[in-house]
Amino acid sequence: MKRLLALVVIAVLAFTAISTAAPRRGGTLRVGLNADPPNMDPHQSTAAVDRQVFQNLYDKLVDINENLEIVPMLATSWTITEGGRVYTFKLRPNVVFHDGTPFNAEAVKANFDRMLDRSFGSPRFSEVNLVTKVEVVDPLTVRITLEKPYSPFLAVLSDRAGMMVSPAAAQRLGKGLAREPVGTGPYRFVEKRPQERIVLERFDRHWDRGAGNVQQIVYRPFTDENARLANLRAGELDIIDQVAPAEIPKLKTDPVLRLFARSGLGWQGMWIQVQSGIFSNKALRQALNAAIDRRTLVQVVFGETADPANGPFPPGMFTYSIPANSRIPERNLDLARQKLREGGQPNGFAFTLKVTPGRVPQQVAQVIQSMAGEVGIRVNIEIVEFGALLSQLDAHRFEASLLGWSGRPDPDGNIYGFFVTGGGLNNSAYSNPRVDALLDAARILTTPDQRRRAYTEVMNVLNDDLPYLFLWWPKEYKVLGPKLQGFVHISDGMMRFRNVWLNP
Amino acid sequence: MTRYFFRRLLLTIPVLFFVSLIVFSLIALIPGDPARIMLGEEASPEALAVLRKQMGLDRPLIVRYAIWMGHVLRGDLGRSVRDGRPVLDTLLLKIPVTAELAVTSLLVAWVIAIPAGVLAAWKRRTVIDYGATTVALAGISIPNFWLGIMLIYLLAVNARLLPPSGYVEPWVDLGRNLKLMVMPSIVLGTGLAALVMRLLRSSMIEVLSSDYIRTARAKGLADQVLLVRHAMKNAMIPVATIMGLQLGGLLGGAVITESIFAVPGVGRLAIESILTRDYPMVQGVVLFAALAVVLANLLVDVTYAFLDPRIRLEEPTG
Repeated sequence: MKRLLALVVIAVLAFTAISTAAPRRGGTLRVGLNADPPNMDPHQSTAAVDRQVFQNLYDKLVDINENLEIVPMLATSWTITEGGRVYTFKLRPNVVFHDGTPFNAEAVKANFDRMLDRSFGSPRFSEVNLVTKVEVVDPLTVRITLEKPYSPFLAVLSDRAGMMVSPAAAQRLGKGLAREPVGTGPYRFVEKRPQERIVLERFDRHWDRGAGNVQQIVYRPFTDENARLANLRAGELDIIDQVAPAEIPKLKTDPVLRLFARSGLGWQGMWIQVQSGIFSNKALRQALNAAIDRRTLVQVVFGETADPANGPFPPGMFTYSIPANSRIPERNLDLARQKLREGGQPNGFAFTLKVTPGRVPQQVAQVIQSMAGEVGIRVNIEIVEFGALLSQLDAHRFEASLLGWSGRPDPDGNIYGFFVTGGGLNNSAYSNPRVDALLDAARILTTPDQRRRAYTEVMNVLNDDLPYLFLWWPKEYKVLGPKLQGFVHISDGMMRFRNVWLNP
Repeated sequence: MTRYFFRRLLLTIPVLFFVSLIVFSLIALIPGDPARIMLGEEASPEALAVLRKQMGLDRPLIVRYAIWMGHVLRGDLGRSVRDGRPVLDTLLLKIPVTAELAVTSLLVAWVIAIPAGVLAAWKRRTVIDYGATTVALAGISIPNFWLGIMLIYLLAVNARLLPPSGYVEPWVDLGRNLKLMVMPSIVLGTGLAALVMRLLRSSMIEVLSSDYIRTARAKGLADQVLLVRHAMKNAMIPVATIMGLQLGGLLGGAVITESIFAVPGVGRLAIESILTRDYPMVQGVVLFAALAVVLANLLVDVTYAFLDPRIRLEEPTG
C-alpha cells in the first residue's frame, strides 16, 4: 500500500512537472508599456514604443534571434546575387492577412511600393530607398534589386520596413491603417483607446499553428515608472518594459518578480562639433577625452545598469570584439595636459555642454565637469529642451552635447549615418574621406570578418579624430511577474509573445 | 437676472478669443521646427516635407491662425498628428473620465473639510483646532505624486485592498470603476480639502462672532442647531465660490494624478500630447481647459448673484 501511494505521489509530481513545462493555451497577457503607442501602421510609425505592439501584430520578412542572427519568418529562404545587389526571397506558403487577403509576392511588392511612394511620406523611405526594382517571379518568389550592394538590408527587413501590411486594407484605408491595422501576425487587432489600452486577440488562421498560446494581449501605457512597477507588484501586469535603475538591486533578489537583463544595442556619449569653434582643434578634443574616466562615470551615475564604452558596437554585436571598440581607455591626466599644450591652450579652455532636462544627463554632465576641471577644462552646462536641442544639433549650432542612439541590430545602423560626410545624423559635421570610403566598403562586404576589418580601421580613425566620445552602453531590462513563461529576451528590447504562455 | 446672465455670457467670448490667440502663437513661438521635433531623430527629409505641408507650416502664421479658427468655430479641432484621430473625438472620450474624477474628488474634499472646518472654528485655539490646521497645512504641502505613489504601495501593493491604477467605464463594471476612483480622488481631494477647511474655518469664526449668533446663543439654542442651521449657511457662501473656482483648478491637478494612476482623462491627454509634441491635440486640450475655467467662473458668478442680489445690482445698467 505504501509503495502504491509513493508511486501515485511520484506520478502526480511528474505530471505537474510536465504540465508546468509545456506551454498552456488561453488567458490574457497584460503588458505595461512606458508610453502610449500612437500609430499602428509600421510604414507610418515614428515612435519607438509602437514597435512593441507590432512584434505580435505583424510578421516580418525576416526576424533576428537571441544572437542577433537573421532568421526566416515570412521569407523561408533567400539568395543574394550580383555582388550583393539582388535579393531573391522564397515566401512562406498558405499565409493570410487578418482580413483574409492572401500573402504572396504581389503583397510584398505592394508593401515596397507603399514605402517608396514619395507622396505617402513614409518614414521607412530612407531605409529602403536603395531599392530600384521589386519583381514578382512567381506567387511565392520575389526579387528585389538594389541600386548598390547594401549588406545591412536583411537587418533592415527584420524591423518595421520588413513588416507586411495587407495590401487590400492599405488601399481601402490609406493612412487610416494607423487606426485599423491588418497584418499576418499571430495576433489581430481588436481595439485601441488612446492612453488607455490596446487589445489584441489570437489569430486562428496564423500559419504557425504552434504560435499564439495566449488568447488575448492587453497593452497598457504607464508614463510613471513607479506606477508601472507597482502594477506589476500588485499582480495587475505580467511584464513591464523598462525599469528605473534604482530598482535594479531590489529586483534582483525579489522572491516573486523576475528581472531579465541583457546588453542593449544603443550607445551614449558626447557629440563634439568639429567644424568650427574651439573643438575644430583636434588636440583639444583629445585632451578632453583623456581627462574623462569612463569607468568612474558609469559607476557613479549608472551602477550596474550600463557598461563603459569606447565605440558604437555594444557587447553582443559581432563587431564588439574590435579592440578599438571594446578596449576602454584609462584616464590619463598627463596625456590631457600634453594635448592641451599641443593644442595651444596649456592653461585649459572653456566650452558649453548642452544637455536635455532630466536627472541622468545632468548627473553625467556634472561628473564630466568635475573630471575636466582637474586639467583646467571648464565645462558650462546648458540645459536645452529636447526638441530645441535636436534643431540645434541639426544646424551644428553647439560645441558639445550629450545625446545617444537607441541602436540597431546591424552595426551599419549604429555607425553609418552618424559619421559619413553629410550623413542625416552626423551632428558633429565630421568629414573624413577615408572614413567615408571605409563605411561604404563595409556596406558592400558580406562576411563578418571582412566587415570587422573595415570597422576596425574606421574605429581607429574615429578614436583619434574624436567627433564623438562614446561613454557608456545602456543595458536592456524587462521585469516579469510569476505567471509569464517562455519569454525570450532579445537585445533589441522588443517583446515577442508568439511562444509565451501563462501559468494559472 | 436673465440680463445679467447674458451679459456675463457675452463677456466670455473675448476671453476665449484671447485664449485661442495665445494658444496658437505659443505653439508657433516654440523653438525648433514642429515637424522636425515631432518626427524625432530619425526623420527623413521626405517625411518632413509631407508633414510640414500637412500641418500647413509652409504658410504665414496669420493665415494658419485664420484657417485654424475657422475650423474651430465649425467644431473641427483638427486631427492628432500622432494617431490621426479627430482631436474632438479624443477629447469627448476623455472629458467624462476627468469629470467623474472631479466630482468624486469634490466629494472627498467635502467629507473631510466641512466637519473639520466647523469643528476647528467651534473649538478655536484648542488641540482640535491646532491639529486640524496642521493636517490642512500638510495636505496643501504634500505633493500629489508622492501621496499617489505612497497610496499605491500601501493600499494596492502591500494591503491589496484596491487595484493600483487604471480605468473601467462605470457602465462596464461599476464596482471596479468606483474602486479605481478611490485613490486618485483621495489624492486630488485632500489638497482641495485642506484649502476648503482653512477657508471654512476663518469664515465660520467670522460668522460665529456676529451679532445674530450671539443673540441666538443668548436665547439658549442648542450648539448643533446653532452651528448647522444658523452659522453654516452663511459661512458656506464664500466656500462655495472657491469650490466652484477650484473645479477649473482640479483639471490642473489631474495632470499628475491621472498620470500616476493611469486614468485616461484630459490631464493625462494633456501631458502625453505635450511630451509627444502633438500640437493639434495640445491646442485642443488647452482650449478645452480654458473653456472649462471660463464656464466655472460664469457659474460661480451667476450662483453668487443669485445668493446675494447686491452683486447684480452693482452692475452698471444700460
